[in-house]
Amino acid sequence: MGAILQSFLAGFDPYLLQILVNIGIAIVLALGLNVIVGLTGQLSLGHAAFMSIGAFASALITNKLGLAFGPNLILTGVITAVIAAIIGFPILRLTGDYLAICTLGFAEIVKVFFLNFEPSNKALGLTVQNAKTDIPVPIWVFLVAVLSVVLVSFVQTSRFGRALKAIREDEIAAEAMGINLTRYKIQAFALGSFMAGVGGGLYAHFLSYINPSDFGFLKSVDILSMVVLGGLGSVPGTVFGSAVLASAPEFLRFMSQYRMLVYGALLVFLMVFRPNGLMGGVNVMDLLLRAVGKKPAGVAFKEKSTT
Amino acid sequence: MSFKKMSALLLVAMLAVGVFGCKKKEEASKEAAAPAAAAGDTVKIGFLGALTGDVAMFGKPTLEGMKMAAEEINAAGGVLGKKIEIVEADDRGDKQEGASVTQKFVSRDKVVAIVGDPTTGITKVAAPVAQKAGVVLLSAGATGPGVVEIGDYIFRDTLLDSIAIPACIEFFAKDLKFKKVAIITSDNNDYSVGLSQTFRDAAKKVPEISIVADEKVKDGDKDFSAQITNIKGKKPDVILFSGYYTEGALIMKEARKQGLKAPMFGGDGLFSPKFIELGGQAVEGSMSALGFSTEQATPETAKFIESFKAKHNGELPGLFDAQGYDAVMLLADAMKRANSIDPKAFKDTLAKTKGFAGVSGTISMQANREPIKSPLSLLYVKDGKFVLKAKVPVKMD
Repeated sequence: MGAILQSFLAGFDPYLLQILVNIGIAIVLALGLNVIVGLTGQLSLGHAAFMSIGAFASALITNKLGLAFGPNLILTGVITAVIAAIIGFPILRLTGDYLAICTLGFAEIVKVFFLNFEPSNKALGLTVQNAKTDIPVPIWVFLVAVLSVVLVSFVQTSRFGRALKAIREDEIAAEAMGINLTRYKIQAFALGSFMAGVGGGLYAHFLSYINPSDFGFLKSVDILSMVVLGGLGSVPGTVFGSAVLASAPEFLRFMSQYRMLVYGALLVFLMVFRPNGLMGGVNVMDLLLRAVGKKPAGVAFKEKSTT
Repeated sequence: MSFKKMSALLLVAMLAVGVFGCKKKEEASKEAAAPAAAAGDTVKIGFLGALTGDVAMFGKPTLEGMKMAAEEINAAGGVLGKKIEIVEADDRGDKQEGASVTQKFVSRDKVVAIVGDPTTGITKVAAPVAQKAGVVLLSAGATGPGVVEIGDYIFRDTLLDSIAIPACIEFFAKDLKFKKVAIITSDNNDYSVGLSQTFRDAAKKVPEISIVADEKVKDGDKDFSAQITNIKGKKPDVILFSGYYTEGALIMKEARKQGLKAPMFGGDGLFSPKFIELGGQAVEGSMSALGFSTEQATPETAKFIESFKAKHNGELPGLFDAQGYDAVMLLADAMKRANSIDPKAFKDTLAKTKGFAGVSGTISMQANREPIKSPLSLLYVKDGKFVLKAKVPVKMD
C-alpha cells in the first residue's frame, strides 16, 4: 500500500506537491478557525498557539512514544481540544475585542511555555523523527484536508452548526431560544482547536523541524486572513482563501522583491471589492446547479418574495 | 475619484511595478546567461536565504559574496569549463517557504548545490529535502547543533561556537589571565540558550576558569539591575553574554552604573554598530568573537577586500559576505578535485577539504564533516569602534 502511494507521488512534480501540501495544511488550519470565527463569530487571534500545541504534542508522541501516525494525529487533536476547552471555559464568556485580546495573551503564554519546556529542547526547537506510517505524509495531508472539508460542511448544516450560527447572529436571541451559550461556544472552540492541533501535527511531520518562534502572532493572522479572504463561515470560501494565500508567495515568486508588496495589495484590493470575502454570501451549490441548468431549490420562493 | 477606483488604480500601479521590476531582472539574467550558454553548459548553484524581512541582513550579504565568487570564477574560465550560475530565491525567513524554495531548486532549477540558509532553523528544514534529492547543501551561517548530522550531502562553512568559544576561553585564561566569569543567557532566544551551554562546557574544561554567576534575562528586557546586583558581588573578570547587541549594551550600561568594571564577551550577536551606539562609553573594552576581520588580512582576504571595496563604493565586507564567497569557492574547489559537477561525486571531495585558504580563514573539514576554521578574530571596542584585539588560533585535529 505504502509503496504504491510512494510511486504514485513520485510521478508528481515535487515542487508542485510541496505547494499543494502547504495548501492542504492551510486548509485544515483555516477550516478549524472558520468554525470558531466564521460559524460562531468568536474572534480568536490565538489559532497558531493551538497549532503549536498540536505540533509539539504530535512531535513528542512520535519521538518519545513512537505511536503510529493515525492514532498520533487523533491523540494530538484530543489533547489540543481538551486544552482549548479548559482555556475556553473562562475566556469564552467574553465577547468581541476582549476575547480577541485574551486569545492573544493565551498565544503568548503558549509560546513562552514551549520556549522553556525541557522535553521540546526549549528555544533550540525540536527535530521531528519520520512519521510512523507507510503512507507518505503528503497523502496524509490531503486525506485530512478532505476529511476536514467533509466534517465542517456536515457540522455547518447540523443542529449544532445552526446553534452556532444563531450565537453568531445574536447571542441574546439565541439564548432566548434555549441555546446554552457557554456550552456551544466551548464545543465550537474545542472543535476548531482539534483541527488546529491536527494541522500542527501535519506541519511538524512534513517539515521535520519545529521551533516555538514559528507559531507567533503573524501565523495566527495569516490563518485569519485565509478565513476572512475566503468568506467568513463559508467552507468553499475558506478552502479557496487558503489555496490562494498559501500558494501566493510561490506563484508571485517571479516578481522577486516586489511580491510581498503585491501580496499586500491583493489583500487590500479584495477586502475593498469583496468585503464579505471571495465566497461570502455565495451559495456554491446554487451556482453548480445553475451551471448544469437546474433551478436551485428555494429560488422560486425568493423570486416571489422580492416582487 | 471614488475610493474603489483609487484603490483599483493603486493595485494596477503596484502590479505594474512588480511586472516591470522583474522584467528588467529577467532581461539581465538572459543577457548574463547568453555567453555562458555559448561556452557550453552552466553549473547552477542555488541561493537560499531571506532577501526581505527580519533576517535579510544575513541573506543579502551572503548573496553578494556568492555573486562575487561566481564572477571571479567565471572570469577565470569557470569551473571545469562551465560557467557558474547563481539561482536566487527569497524565503523571507519562513520555514515553510524555505522548504518550498529548496524543493524548487532541486526539481525545477536542477541545481547541483545550494548555499544557505544563513540561519540554523531554515537550514534544518531545507536539509532533509536536499539530502533526499541528492543535492549538496552548504549553509553559510548556520551555527546551531544538529545540522550536518542530517545527512552526507549537508555541510556548512561557519566556524562552530563549540570550537570557537573554547579557543577564546583558553585565550582568556592564558593571555588575559581571567579567572572568574559570569554567564548571562537570554532564555527566550534559541541562539543564546545554545551559546550559553557552549560557554559553560568550555569554561569547565579550562581549570583556571570558574563560573561565579549564571543569570537569565529575556530579549526585550530593559531593566537588568537585579541580575547585575547579583553578579557584582561575585567580582567576575568578564561577563559572558550569549544574546544580542541590544540587551548586551543595556546590560553593560547597568553594570557601569553599579560600578562593575568587567568587560563583556559574546558571539557575533554582539557584533553590530548598534552595540556601540546604544552602549556608548559603557561598552568600551567589550569583546566579540568573529570568523572574519578585515584587519591583519591574508593575501586572499586582502584581494577579496579590495575587489569588494571597488564594487561597493569603498564599503568593507562583513562576515556573511566572506562566508557566501567562501561557500561558492569551496564548492568550485570540490568540483575541480572531483573532476565532476555531479553532487554524488563532489560531496565526497568537499568532505575531504583540508587547509582551504578561504577569505574567512583556513577551512578544513573534520571527519564528522563539521568545519574547522583558523584563526578566529577576537574584536574589542576601542574609541567607539570594533578593532582587532587578537587573532586566536584554532587547533586543527
